[in-house]
Amino acid sequence: MAVSDHAVTLAGAFIGGGLALGGGAVGAGIGDGMAGSATIAGVARQPEAQGRLFSIFFLTVGLVEAMYFINLAFMALFVFVLA
Amino acid sequence: MNIEAIGKIEVGNHTTATFGGWTFNLDTIWSSLAAAVVILLLGLWMRRKLTSGVPSGIQLTWESAVSTIENQVEQSMGLRTAPFVVPLAVALFFFILIANWIEIIPTHEKFVAPTSDANTTYALAILVIVLMHIVSVRRNGPGNYVKHYFRPSPILFPINLIEELVKPFTLALRLFGNIFSGTILIALIGLFPYWLLWAPTALWKSFDMFIGLIQAFIFALLTILYFSFQLQTEEGH
Repeated sequence: MAVSDHAVTLAGAFIGGGLALGGGAVGAGIGDGMAGSATIAGVARQPEAQGRLFSIFFLTVGLVEAMYFINLAFMALFVFVLA
Repeated sequence: MNIEAIGKIEVGNHTTATFGGWTFNLDTIWSSLAAAVVILLLGLWMRRKLTSGVPSGIQLTWESAVSTIENQVEQSMGLRTAPFVVPLAVALFFFILIANWIEIIPTHEKFVAPTSDANTTYALAILVIVLMHIVSVRRNGPGNYVKHYFRPSPILFPINLIEELVKPFTLALRLFGNIFSGTILIALIGLFPYWLLWAPTALWKSFDMFIGLIQAFIFALLTILYFSFQLQTEEGH
């Protein structure tokens, strides 16, 4: 059974895109969780610092999610452009 | 929800115009111009309502943004080291904020967020990084600039070099990925039946606004931080 080149490229692109998204989601989830746990611990020790801790928390979440979104951009590149 | 319709979502399509061998994405260009016009109007409106008495809402917005950025610059490198970073960061923050928020307006693909086009984000990142290197060379001298790559130890030279080369890419792709994924999800949500459409659309658009705000803030903050890394050499870095 012959498989066309285009089908192989398409399959490779989908698998690669799925791996990129999966790995990115795992990393982003772990990173956000660690940032959140540090924030909760900080607020538990010192409730007055909640405002300052929240802004640092959102900053960290933004940077962590950036890795995931860069992965997403590459997924879009693989799936929509290269195949 | 039609499964086949998912395959028909087109991403990254722009109305283009070619001129002299270059292709211009027209919808990105006019969205960027619209964002710039909005910011200019906001600035002019604030100037009209400028008062040293009780400030109006618009004056409060501008003042809080400028004072937050001034505090950040003061923390990183001191306001007198590089006072030009403050207007740069404020302009970047507001432009990226308005550009990200254009996505919320439902206009059926006529007005898309300019930052969902990688060209815009690469342009902004290249602007910031090139400016950073030029200012560093002019401020510290070429010799100190090159020596900066060999701090704190010459073994770290490849890592420092890679870090400097990767900075424009992460700066651009972070913003691009965030907003681009927003456009993909809006297209996906559009496949829902119309009587169900409003709930996920409202949720996703509010989340997208929040992400747009955070990414604009992160871009401005990283601009300030990158400048502070380069200009910090006087303190025996």
